[in-house]
Amino acid sequence: MFKFVDCIDAGTEYCPCYLAEKGECIICSQLRGRVFCDCLNWKGTCIYQEYTWNNNKAKKAREFKEYTVKKLNMIRDDLILMEVSVNPYLAKQLNNIGAFVFLKRPKSPQCFATPVSIMKSDIKNNIITLAIKILGVKTKDILECKDKIEIKGPYWNGVQGQIFIKNLKNSEVLISARGVAAAPCVMLANKLKKSNNNVVVILDKGRSNENFAKKEFLDLGCKVYDVDMIKYSNYTLKEELKQLIIELMRKHDFKVTVSGGSDEFHRLYLNFIYSMDKDIKFVTINNSLMTCGEGVCGSCQLKLNNGQIIRGCKQQYNPAEVFINIKGDVNI
Amino acid sequence: MMVIVIGGGWAGCAAALQAKKCGAEVLIIEKTDMLLGLGNVGGIIRNNGRWTAAEEMIALGGGDLFEIADRCARHKNVEFPGHKHATLYDVNIIEAEVRKYLYSMGINIMFENRVVDVEMEGRRIKSVYLHDGTEIEGDVFIETTGSTGPIGNCLRYGNGCSMCILRCPSYGPRISISMRAGVEDLQGLRGDESFGAMSGSCKIEKDSLSKELQEKLDKDGVVIIPVPKEDINLDKLKNKVCQQYALKEFAENIVLLDTGHAKLMTSYYPLEKLRKIPGFERARFIDPYSGGKANSIRYLSMAPRDNHMKVIGIDNLFVGGEKSGLFVGHTEAIVTGTLAGYNAVRSGLGLNLVELPTSLAVGDIIKFENESKQTIEGLKQRYTFAGAIYFERMKELNLYITDVEKIRKKVEGLFLKDFFKNKII
Repeated sequence: MFKFVDCIDAGTEYCPCYLAEKGECIICSQLRGRVFCDCLNWKGTCIYQEYTWNNNKAKKAREFKEYTVKKLNMIRDDLILMEVSVNPYLAKQLNNIGAFVFLKRPKSPQCFATPVSIMKSDIKNNIITLAIKILGVKTKDILECKDKIEIKGPYWNGVQGQIFIKNLKNSEVLISARGVAAAPCVMLANKLKKSNNNVVVILDKGRSNENFAKKEFLDLGCKVYDVDMIKYSNYTLKEELKQLIIELMRKHDFKVTVSGGSDEFHRLYLNFIYSMDKDIKFVTINNSLMTCGEGVCGSCQLKLNNGQIIRGCKQQYNPAEVFINIKGDVNI
Repeated sequence: MMVIVIGGGWAGCAAALQAKKCGAEVLIIEKTDMLLGLGNVGGIIRNNGRWTAAEEMIALGGGDLFEIADRCARHKNVEFPGHKHATLYDVNIIEAEVRKYLYSMGINIMFENRVVDVEMEGRRIKSVYLHDGTEIEGDVFIETTGSTGPIGNCLRYGNGCSMCILRCPSYGPRISISMRAGVEDLQGLRGDESFGAMSGSCKIEKDSLSKELQEKLDKDGVVIIPVPKEDINLDKLKNKVCQQYALKEFAENIVLLDTGHAKLMTSYYPLEKLRKIPGFERARFIDPYSGGKANSIRYLSMAPRDNHMKVIGIDNLFVGGEKSGLFVGHTEAIVTGTLAGYNAVRSGLGLNLVELPTSLAVGDIIKFENESKQTIEGLKQRYTFAGAIYFERMKELNLYITDVEKIRKKVEGLFLKDFFKNKII
């Protein structure tokens, strides 16, 4: 049975990593306790060769470095928009679909590190923009940042299903996003527009009646619709959203749709779309809980429908395999 | 009936051609942009017992590819240490000729597509998956992916990726399809019982050699030059795939053959040392590109098979070439591939499978190799009509015949004349 297995770090300067060193490489059979090649998921470089040439050691892992906070705007009582001046290397590396970093307040211990998606990366002025929802102890700690912040990165697995959008050209894509999950969708829309794709965006009005990222999508030339997405009494999709999707799908030939929300939202949204179009490809914002980002700590592990356990911080999966219920018994 | 051939080397081409001649729909899925695989840097046919094998195949009606190779010959009747009446085909033109012929026969070929996995239905393969997840269904499958590389294996069991003609970094590594289908691979052994063996020749750009060497190669097809005493390395012979060329003469001499390039009959040769030899002052490698330090590693991925070329444990998977055993060379690949193609179609029709008679060298080698590799000593051997233990056996059993008429009569006597030309669908 064909397995969609991918490691986002494979072939990058952070590969091979600690996993290879311990015989747990996601891609390479020779670095997973075997003595022959069985390279099902070739990524363009031989990880075993890289490992051998690196004196049988992992490459240097990412480390926290201090950067300057240029702007910190409270755009809601629990939502901040932050601009950070970074070095050119980081700005370039983060100018990618699915890019994210770990943030923490300088001098806070490592356990405060929290993963945050990149909304924009200005590679001319080396400024990254992030949206942070204040949820708990780690994000509250970031609120206390003054002019400095520590960043560990780059990481790229903030979006699942990247295979369906990386080389997409002259096509049509529907993005549906809620709350802070709209931030990585801005980066996504930016890249999709650059490849001449028509991008239609549905945003949840939420509490403030308009998503904070709406202007960004409009500036990119996307068509944007504001709706109320969720009926909270039984957590289902609102009729208003369903009707809009039906209408848009009639009008457009979407090859891919992006779900920006919680895993609960992904499940409702993907199953609804799948009930109408079995061929459309799905992309989802990665909500895995992450602590180390290096595949080591295990907090991001999740079980796919086929029973396979994967590391959400490094591994790509096909969102359809995780969220679609083929039997169709999801109450959407 | 749809026959899917995975891997378009010599064995795959032969299997596809035979399945097509039998009347099946045939698709070759090849990971690179060229057919013939390592045959693109081969070039030696009809040496020693390969002469007999080629003529037996022609008499059996399965000689199409030998006839193309004969047409592409640069030199005929060449002699070099231990080898007689060799034909050297031009590696620079033969791929296009074979491709043209396969297309003319109506064979479909998908290039630059790598098969990575299979879908099983009990003991049968239902379909194969390409690297991008595309599923392709078939009735019978023939795996001719060889046993060479990929990069990790060449590194673990050799001197690293030598950038050979298989071009794994560009097209992705070889995958053992039989293993994906649940059948454990067998490995060939070296003298010290480590795994694999190193490809036995490399190619030098002919234009980088001296005018005299070039002229001699063009005229005679072969040049033999003594290796400086201090550089003779007999140990290198032990690692070599091609035991027919693992003779003392090949360590003590530089043997060059004209196959379009100058084929240097040693696994690798440090460039600095090579350039000290008169005529080689400007020499450079053309295959593998890193022929100064390494060559590809082979025999790491053979499927257990029966003498019909069917993989044991899978009902509709056949194998040919190196995938099917410790065979060396195109002649051996074409012989095993042809039988795999023929039996694949019979299997698809539910007919009994056939073995080639052991009174012919082409039948005997298939059976002999299969029996021999059951032992550790047998796994250390290589099996080729051109030399080593199998050529000795051919001579002992009087299977080595160079008289073409005699070979034809022998095949006719077995009522097998043009056997492979019969359409069975």
